[in-house]
Amino acid sequence: MTTHPLEGVAASRPRVRRSPIARRRELMAWCFLLPAIALLAVFTLVPFVQAIVLSFQQWDGVSTSTPFVGLSNYRFVLHDTVFWSSLRNVLIFGVVGFVLGNAISLGMAVAVNRVRRGKAFFRTAFYLPGVFSVVVIGMMFSWLLAPNAGILNRLLGAVGASGLQHNWLEDPGTALPTVAAVFLWYHWGFGFILYLAGLQDVPVELYEAASLDGARGWAKFRYVTWPELLPVTAIVSLLTLLGALQVFGTVQVLTNGGPGNHTMVPTLRIYQEAFTNQRFGSAAAMSVIFGGALVLLAMLQLWLSRRRK
Amino acid sequence: MNQSRGQAKALDKLVETYHKQTGVRVTVDSPGPTNFPAKLQAKSQSGDMPDVYSTLTLPEMIPYYKAGWAMNLQPKLTGDWKDNFSPIALDLTTLKAGTVNGLDAGIYSAHWEIQTMGLMLNTKTFESAGIDPKAPPATTAAWIEQLKKVSGKTGNGAFLMAASLADRFLLSHASNWLTDAEIDATLAGKASWKADGWRKGLQLLADLRDAGVIVNKALPGGDGDNPTVEKGFFNVQDTPAIFDASVAIGVARATAPDFTDYVSMGIPKAADGMRKPRVYGGVGKGACINPKGKNVDAAVKFVQWLTEPEQAKVFVDMVGLIPANPKVTAADLPSQVAGFASLVNAIEITPSPLNTDARTALVSGVQSLVLKEKTVDQVLDDLETAQKRTK
Repeated sequence: MTTHPLEGVAASRPRVRRSPIARRRELMAWCFLLPAIALLAVFTLVPFVQAIVLSFQQWDGVSTSTPFVGLSNYRFVLHDTVFWSSLRNVLIFGVVGFVLGNAISLGMAVAVNRVRRGKAFFRTAFYLPGVFSVVVIGMMFSWLLAPNAGILNRLLGAVGASGLQHNWLEDPGTALPTVAAVFLWYHWGFGFILYLAGLQDVPVELYEAASLDGARGWAKFRYVTWPELLPVTAIVSLLTLLGALQVFGTVQVLTNGGPGNHTMVPTLRIYQEAFTNQRFGSAAAMSVIFGGALVLLAMLQLWLSRRRK
Repeated sequence: MNQSRGQAKALDKLVETYHKQTGVRVTVDSPGPTNFPAKLQAKSQSGDMPDVYSTLTLPEMIPYYKAGWAMNLQPKLTGDWKDNFSPIALDLTTLKAGTVNGLDAGIYSAHWEIQTMGLMLNTKTFESAGIDPKAPPATTAAWIEQLKKVSGKTGNGAFLMAASLADRFLLSHASNWLTDAEIDATLAGKASWKADGWRKGLQLLADLRDAGVIVNKALPGGDGDNPTVEKGFFNVQDTPAIFDASVAIGVARATAPDFTDYVSMGIPKAADGMRKPRVYGGVGKGACINPKGKNVDAAVKFVQWLTEPEQAKVFVDMVGLIPANPKVTAADLPSQVAGFASLVNAIEITPSPLNTDARTALVSGVQSLVLKEKTVDQVLDDLETAQKRTK
């Protein structure tokens, strides 16, 4: 019989008796953590488990009885073509948020980081969209983009570009890109602030050393700025991607998934299934499937960023 | 708890009068139309349902009825109280046996309003195109010709409808070919959506599209689609004709009180129609009484008082609605409501609620139809599939 080498080490290690002070400190730490754990349990873990349980039940949102229906909610979701097409739409949002969202935020941060005066102004101006409520943003853009009375089309008409006037939100060809553009505008401030903070943490010596080696603008960005920003990029990418995949308010206020289902996204489909169709069981099944996909994606993204590091 | 923002002022005034007359104080909570369903649901889940609350559509109310949150008023609707409702109002409110699984027949709500669906026309715009808006066109073909003339003037179409009202538009126009019983059979999932009547009913939208008379060449969708259409008609006045419900008169009074140059009428009949066209309509705003509440008797008395002729007249004057009380005469109604009110006797009686999946498929389908992404048959196929899926 073989013994695991560590077992012997563990067995031979003398048992350390912690001092009463250390034990009291640890107890104190747990006491401080307790409210957070309670909140986490009540508002995150319990609803999470409840949602999974609900996905096997039937509930109209009002009745007191919630009979178990096995896998029928999942079978229902599997045949829901709108839900699956909404996943395709949200992937477009994800790609746009991930690629363009990162690029715009980074570009703005690099530009603002270089200016000597007015940094505070640009920081505020670029972050401002993120301060508004998503409903306000939706209302604002639905006025801006209204086909007849909207400012954008009127502006295009006023500058002699009436050929470019368009029914932005009700044409299937432009609805999704328009909503994605509004989403980008709303969210770019968040990535911008993180990138700006990251840029300000890059040691100046590295740039000086790169200059001595003959590096100029692009080379400096590629060999100094970019590698130094990798941790920030990882977190911004992850959060922007998840934000884009979970987009809801912007779509609901601007198009509510229309025209047809051209801008339907999973969160909106789940919301409609629950609160419009009053089928909370199948809505829960959709959220379990979608939530699971998001968790997998987040894990993949973190794994990739660690490997890159 | 009141859903209607347009009726909030009238309700507040009536509650004040009721307090003066009886000494009973009624508190009205008006969270607004968007928040109302979620707030009512939250109240039902916490067991804190109000004594009296606004009704929603039948499919939305079914869970509340099943959970026992609405009193069956049928035994109380006798004598004087019954006289406060026109026969059509009672017929539309009566839940017939076998139409909703697990729910007894009865009358679970009392309404002071009847709604009909039809067209609203901007008189000045029509007149400027040389058309008398008060002389309804004889057929849909003549109507389309009128709209073409108005479109020629505006350059951007003449007619608009919110996608969310597509079911009402279809149910109205298909009545040129289908009986109420046939329509009800389809709603109940016992007959096919692919019947010729439905096809012809939906074809009107395709005809309007092909005639180029739909404003901006698209039907607005989304949560605020009908307010968008109403804004174009009442406030911006860049939409000459819309399909809407009589309840829009109240919206106009609240948001554009100075705009009164409009008339209402039904969708013209189809030239090849086999029946007298009817309209989608129903009871409008009204109330359910919570039988588990603390003030059940007081709640019943208050709702009975609300539906009396004097109070119905206040609603008519302040909101501009079609009253459910037959003692308020046509002469009491504002001129804009006249066209809608004339449709009351043509309301379809179809007890089965429209399946929510079928409705969702239709709402997105008509948008695709107007955008030429789908044909009439494809939209009807989608409807059929959606209905079967949750049968």
